Amino acid sequence: MARALAKTWCGMPKSHPSERYTAWAAVLAAALSIPAPATASDGEAFFEREVRPLLAARCLGCHGGDKAGGGLSLDSRAGWEAGGEQGPAVVPGEPDASLLVRAVSGADPDWRMPPPDHGPALAPAEVAVLREWVRRGAPDPRVGGAAIGGMDRDEAAAWWAFQPLPEATRLPTPDEIDALLGAALAERGIEPAGPADDRTFIRRAAYDLTGLPPSPEEVEAFIADGAADKDTRLVERLLASPDHGVHQGRRWLDVVRYADTAGENTDRPLPHAWRYRNWVFDAFAADLPYPDFVRLQLAGDLVPAAARSGRNDGIVATGYLAIARRFGHDIDKDIHLTHEDVIDTLGKTFLGLSTGCARCHDHKYDAISAHDYYALAGIFASTRFAFPGCEPKGQPRDLVPLEPEPDLAAARAAWQERVALRDAERARRDAIASRAQLGEAAREDARVLAAGTVAEGESVALAAAGPIDVALGAGQVVVLAVAAGGNHGADSTLVELSIRSGDGAGVWSTADVVPRLASANPLAYGGATWCFLERSAEGPAFLGERRDEIDGQPALKAWRSGDVPSVFANTAAEPVAVWTTLPAAALFVHPGPDREALLAWICPRDGSYRIEGRVADAHPAGLDGVSFTLSVAGGRGYGALLAEAGQLAATPLADPGPEPMLPVAYAVVEGTVHDAPLHQRGDPEKPGPAVPRRWLEVFGGAPVPGDGGSGRRALAEWVATSPLASRVIVNRVWQWHFGTGIVATANDFGARGTPPTHPELLDRLAAGFVAEGGRVKSLHRAIMATRAFRRASTVGPHLLEADPGARLLSHFPRRRLTAEEIRDSLLLAAGELDRAPAEAHPFPPEATWNFTQHGPFAAVYETTKRSAYLMVQRQRRHPFLALFDGADPNASTPSRQTTTVPTQALYFLNDPFFHRRAEAFARRLGALADPAARIGAGYRIAYQRPPTAIEADRAAGFLAAYPGDDQQRLAAWARVLLASNEFLHVD
Amino acid sequence: MSRSHRDAVWTPGSCAGRRTALRSAVAGSLLMPGIVRQLLADAGDPLAPRMPHFAPRAKRVIFLFMTGGVSHVDTFDPKPALSRDHGKEIKADHPEIKDRPGYERIYLKRPQWEFSPHGACGTEVSTLFPCVAECVDRIAIVRSMHTSHSNHYNATLGMHTGSFAFSRPSIGSWVSYGLGTENANLPGFVVIAPRQTYAGTQVYAADFLPGAHQGTLVVPGAEPVANVAPRVPADRQALELAALAALDRDHLAVRGTDPLLAGRMRSFETAFGMQIAVPDAFDLAAEDDATLALYGLARGQTTGFGWQCLAARRLVERGVRFVELIDTGSSDNWDAHGDMATHVGLAKNVDRPIAGLLADLARRGLLDDTLVVWTTEFGRTPFNNTADAKGREHHPWAFSSWLAGAGVKRGIVHGATDEHGLRAVEKPVHVHDLHATILWLMGFDHERLTFRHAGRDYRLTDVHGKVVHDLLA
Repeated sequence: MARALAKTWCGMPKSHPSERYTAWAAVLAAALSIPAPATASDGEAFFEREVRPLLAARCLGCHGGDKAGGGLSLDSRAGWEAGGEQGPAVVPGEPDASLLVRAVSGADPDWRMPPPDHGPALAPAEVAVLREWVRRGAPDPRVGGAAIGGMDRDEAAAWWAFQPLPEATRLPTPDEIDALLGAALAERGIEPAGPADDRTFIRRAAYDLTGLPPSPEEVEAFIADGAADKDTRLVERLLASPDHGVHQGRRWLDVVRYADTAGENTDRPLPHAWRYRNWVFDAFAADLPYPDFVRLQLAGDLVPAAARSGRNDGIVATGYLAIARRFGHDIDKDIHLTHEDVIDTLGKTFLGLSTGCARCHDHKYDAISAHDYYALAGIFASTRFAFPGCEPKGQPRDLVPLEPEPDLAAARAAWQERVALRDAERARRDAIASRAQLGEAAREDARVLAAGTVAEGESVALAAAGPIDVALGAGQVVVLAVAAGGNHGADSTLVELSIRSGDGAGVWSTADVVPRLASANPLAYGGATWCFLERSAEGPAFLGERRDEIDGQPALKAWRSGDVPSVFANTAAEPVAVWTTLPAAALFVHPGPDREALLAWICPRDGSYRIEGRVADAHPAGLDGVSFTLSVAGGRGYGALLAEAGQLAATPLADPGPEPMLPVAYAVVEGTVHDAPLHQRGDPEKPGPAVPRRWLEVFGGAPVPGDGGSGRRALAEWVATSPLASRVIVNRVWQWHFGTGIVATANDFGARGTPPTHPELLDRLAAGFVAEGGRVKSLHRAIMATRAFRRASTVGPHLLEADPGARLLSHFPRRRLTAEEIRDSLLLAAGELDRAPAEAHPFPPEATWNFTQHGPFAAVYETTKRSAYLMVQRQRRHPFLALFDGADPNASTPSRQTTTVPTQALYFLNDPFFHRRAEAFARRLGALADPAARIGAGYRIAYQRPPTAIEADRAAGFLAAYPGDDQQRLAAWARVLLASNEFLHVD
Repeated sequence: MSRSHRDAVWTPGSCAGRRTALRSAVAGSLLMPGIVRQLLADAGDPLAPRMPHFAPRAKRVIFLFMTGGVSHVDTFDPKPALSRDHGKEIKADHPEIKDRPGYERIYLKRPQWEFSPHGACGTEVSTLFPCVAECVDRIAIVRSMHTSHSNHYNATLGMHTGSFAFSRPSIGSWVSYGLGTENANLPGFVVIAPRQTYAGTQVYAADFLPGAHQGTLVVPGAEPVANVAPRVPADRQALELAALAALDRDHLAVRGTDPLLAGRMRSFETAFGMQIAVPDAFDLAAEDDATLALYGLARGQTTGFGWQCLAARRLVERGVRFVELIDTGSSDNWDAHGDMATHVGLAKNVDRPIAGLLADLARRGLLDDTLVVWTTEFGRTPFNNTADAKGREHHPWAFSSWLAGAGVKRGIVHGATDEHGLRAVEKPVHVHDLHATILWLMGFDHERLTFRHAGRDYRLTDVHGKVVHDLLA
C-alpha cells in the first residue's frame, strides 16, 4: 500500500523555494492569533493569502493542471472534493480526518507528502496553515478550477467555435458566399477557374444530391434547356427526388455510425434498427428543420406528439441513441462503455467535440472535464436502452412498442388466409407426388441394369461387358444414381449416358443435355424427358434450385438442393477451373451425405434400347470415391407421375410473406433516474461521488430540470439550440458539396481540430441557417447556386499548385464515387437498380437465435436495392463496403477516405457481381440493332455523354477485334467502360 | 523517401524474374504511359517502402495465433507442484469464477501431459508438442505472459490490436503502415485462416489507418484470395486492359496531373500482376518432397496448418511484411472447458508444421531476419471447480508465448509463474509489452509509431507497453 501510494504520488518539483515560507511563517503566526473569520469572504481571503501560494509552491507540481498524481487534483474545490484513489483529500472542518493534512504532517510515516525523494517535508508552520484552513471548513473560491478540462476558462470563453452567432435574418445569397470566397482568392492573387459545362454540371449535381448519375434523357433535356433559371430548376428537381433523402440520409448514417448489428461479442442482429435508418432518409427528404431533427433523435419519445411529424416518428428517431455499440459478453456489465460510445458520438455528431475523451480524465485539450462527462453519463444511465440480447442474456427486450397501422388486424387475417392456402396447396402436392409416393411407384417393375464403384481418379464404364440392351415401355424411367462413399467431400462426378432406340430412330445423350441443363427440370427434349433428382431414404425429389453460374463462372449451370446434391454442367467449350478443373462440355453430378444425385430419363415409346456410358471421378482429392447404380424404375405410369411432380416442384409455393406483427422500435425510453458516479480513471470498479446531471460547464452547466425525468429532454434542447451545433451541421453540408468542410475536421471543432478556412462565411451560413428555421435544403440551394459550385475541376497546373486540395475552391475538387455510389451506378447501368425503399433485413427469426462468441451472427445479404439499404455488420465489414472505403460502423465517420489499392482493381477485373452487372449492361446495349447506337448508348449510360468520333471508332474496333459472340463482345466492352476512371469519378 | 534510399535499405525479392517480365510487357506497351509513373512519384503511395525508426533486427514477422486459449501448464510451463497439490482447494479472486454458481470452491488440477527437458538448453516442454520441443534451442519461451481480459472476444482483440474493447488497427496494419510493402504485387499484411476467429474481421482491420494497410484474408482452399482468379482468358483480358488504359489515358490527358486518377491506373497494373503473383505464392508445386515432408504435407494438399506454414514462408520470401496464421476459428478450438483431451488433436495439427517452418526458415537463412511469434489469447486455469473436472477455464493471469528468429535470444526461458501456474510472478510480460517488443524488433519505438485520428495520436500500445530487453539477442 505504502509503496503503491509513493509510486503514484510522483513527480514532485525538484526545487523548493521553502525560504519564502520562513518569511510568512511570521504572518501566519499573526493570522492564527486572530479570531476565526465569521464570513465566507474572510475564509476566502485566508485561502487566497495563505493557502493558494502554499498549494502552488508545494503541491500543484504533481496535483494540478493536467497532472493528477494518484488521481488527486488540488487545483480546484472539485478536485479535492472528489479526491484521488484514496478518496476525498479534505473533510472540511476535520483536519485529523483529512488525508491532505495527514499526508503533509507525516502522521503516517509510510506515505508522507511530498514523498521523500521529492523534497523536504513541509515546515510545521506550513502544515499549520493547511490544518487551519481545513478547520475553517476549507473555504475555496476556485469553484470549477481555473480550467475546464484542457482549456483555461478565459481561453474557453474566447474559443471561436463557442461564440454566439452573428445577427442574421436569412442565409447569405450565393453572390455573398462567392464574395466571401473570392476575398481569400483575391488576397492570394488567384484567378479561379471558369464554369464547368452543362454536362459536367448536371452529373456533378445529380451525384451530389442523389448519389446517382442523371439519365441520358435528363442530360439532353438539361443541355437543350435555354432558360436562365435551368440550374435552379435542376437543383429543385433533384431535391424533390426520393433518391435525395436516401443519399443525404446515408451521409448522416456515416456520422452516427449506423449499423444493423449490436457489436457485442456475438454481433447480434438489430432487426428493428431499419426503422431509424428509414426515418433518417425520410427526414432529409421532408427537410425536417434541423433543430427538430436533433430533438427527435435525442428525446423524440419525450416530445409532445403534436410536435412530431408522424405517429411513431418520435420513438423511432431515438434509434439514434439505441444503435450505440454494445460491448463484451454481458452487455450490462460493460454498459459504461456503451454510455461512452453514446457520449462520444453525441459530441462528435452534433457539437464537433470529443466528449468521450473525458471518461477517464479531464479532456487534455478541450474544455470538457471528467465531471462534464459523468454529468452527461447520468442522463444516459437514467435512460432505458432497447436491449439487443447477448450470449448470457438471451433474446432482446425493452424494444419500444409502436402504434400499429390501423389495419393490422385485417392484415393479419389476410396473412393467415395466405398461410392456409399455401398449406392446402402443399398438402395437395404431397397427395400427388410426395417423396414416399415417388419412391413407392419407382419400385414397380424395377430392375438394376448395372452397378459399380468409382475409385479416386477412375473412370468406369456403366457395364464392363459393353452396351446394355434393354426393352422398355413408354413411361418407364431409366435412372442413373450416384452415391457418395463414406466421405462425401470432393465427389464431383462426370457422367455420360447415351440411350439409342433399337430402330435407330432416336438417340438421347447427356451431351445434348449439357447446353440445355438450366432451361428446365424436367427437361423435355427430342421426345423424351430428362429429370434431375436427389434421393434420400424417404424417396426421390426434384432438385429445385437452379443456378446460372457457380463460383462466378457463368459457363457452369446447375440444379441443386443447397450446395449438394447437385447435377451440373460445364457448358463452355473449354475447361473451367473452379474447385477442380472441370472438362469442357460435360455433365456432372455431386451426391450429398445420405443423398444420391439422380439422372432420370423417361422413355418416350415402347421398344428396345441400347444404353452406354461411363461414370468418372472429376475431382481427385485422395478420398474414397463414389458408387453408381443404373436401373429401370417404375411401370408405364411412372414417367407421367414423375413429370407432373417435376412440374409442381418447378412452380414454387406461393409465399405468404412475413407475419404482420405488432411493430416495435429499437429505441429508448426514460429509465430509473439517478446521477452517475464519477469513475476514477474511468474504472467502474472505482466509483467516486455522484455527479449531478447537467449541461457542459463550458456552455453554462445548467442543471437538468427537477421534473423527475432523465434530463434527456433538456439535453436535446441544449444541443438543438447551441450555436456550435449550427456551425457543425452547416460545415457538414458544405463538406458534402465540396469534399472538405470550411473546418476540415468535421467532427472536431476543438483545440485539436483545424481552424476554419473562411470563418466569416461559416458564421454567416450558420446564423442564416438558424434564422431560416434550420432547413438543410435551403443550404443546398444557396451553396449549389454559387459560382464556386459551378467551377470546372479540370484546370491547369498553376491552379493546382496555388490552391492545393482546392481548399479555397478556386476550382471544383474532383472526387471518386463512394462505395454506395459505385454499386448503385453499376446496378443502374445494368438496368437492375430497384429504387423503392427497403425495410427489414432477412435476418433469421429471433426465436432461432443461438449466437455465441464461438458462433457469432454473420451474413451478407445481396440486394438490388440502393446500397444505403445494405445490411451493415459491426464485427464483420461488408466486403464491398470495406473494399471501397465505406463508413466505419463502429465509430463516427466524418468523411470517407479514398484509398486506391490493387484489390479494388481486382474487383473490376474479376468480381462476379461486377461481371454480372456488365453482362446485364451489355444485354441492354445488345437490344439495340444498330452498332453505332449501341456505342452511343454505352457512353450515354456510363458517362452521360456521347462518344467523340474517335472514341466511337475505337469502340467499334474493340468490338470487332474481341473474340466471341455479340453478347460476349459487348460484355467485355461494358466491363471496360464500368472500370474506367471516367465512370468512377465526378468532375 | 527517395527511391535510391529505399533500395539501399531493402533488397528486392529474389523471385521477381517472371513477374518483372510480365509487368514490363504490360506496363511498357499498354497500361502505363510514362506520365503516370512521374505522377506517382509524388502520389504519396501509402504502401511505398519506408524506413523504421532505427535499424531493424527483423524485416518480417510470422505470427502464429492459436485461437481459444492454450493451457500453459500442459504445454510450455511445467508445474510439478501442481501435480503434487492436485485436488487441493485454493482461493482466488478470479474473473472466471466470480459470482459463478458452482464455482464457490475451486481445486488445483494437475497437468495431463508429461514434461521433459529438450535440446542443449534443456527447456522443458510437454509431450503435446514433440516437434516444437526439438526446436527449443532456437526459441525464447515467455512463461510470464498475462492479459487484461478473460473473454475470448476481448482477449483476442487485445492480442491483435492492443485494445480490449474498441476496434483499433491490428498489429499487422501498424507494421504495414510503418514499413510499407516490399512487393507491389502482394499485400503487406496477410492473414491465413481457415475460419474467422473471435471479434471477426476486427483482428486484421486497418481501422483508422489508411485502408491499404488492411490485412488481406487468405482462406486455404481453391481460391485463397478473392477475385484473383481471372474470369476471362488472359488474351481477352489483355484486350480489355489495353482498351481501359486507352480510355483512362485520354481521360487523364485533358485533366492534367491528378494523382488520384494516375494511382488508380497503376492499381490495374498491380492487380494484373497479382493475378500471377498470388497464385504463384500459393502454388506449392515447385516445392520438393523433402520440404513438403518438413511441414507434414502431402503433394497437392491445399489446406491444413502445414499448408498455411509453407504458404507463410513463401509469402515472407516474396516480401510480405506480416503474415498471421490462425490455426482454427471461433469454435472447435483450444477452448477446452469440457475436456483437455481436445488439446491433443489441436497440438498435433500445428506441431510438425511449426517445427518444419522453423527448420525451413533456418536452412534458408530467413530466420536471421524473420521473427516468428507463437501465442494464444490467454492461458487456462490450473484449477477447476472439482478436482476431477476434465477441462480448464479461461485464465488471463498467466500464459505462455514464444518468439524465435531475428534478434531474439535462443534457447532461453523468460519469466515465471508461481508454483501452480496461477500468476505471472517473475518478470511479467503483458500483451502490450509483447507488442512493444515486436515493434522494437521491427525497428520501431512503439511510443513513436503513432497515427493522428479524431484529434489524438494513437499507437498500438495505447499508453502502455515496455520493451522486454531480456528477450533480445
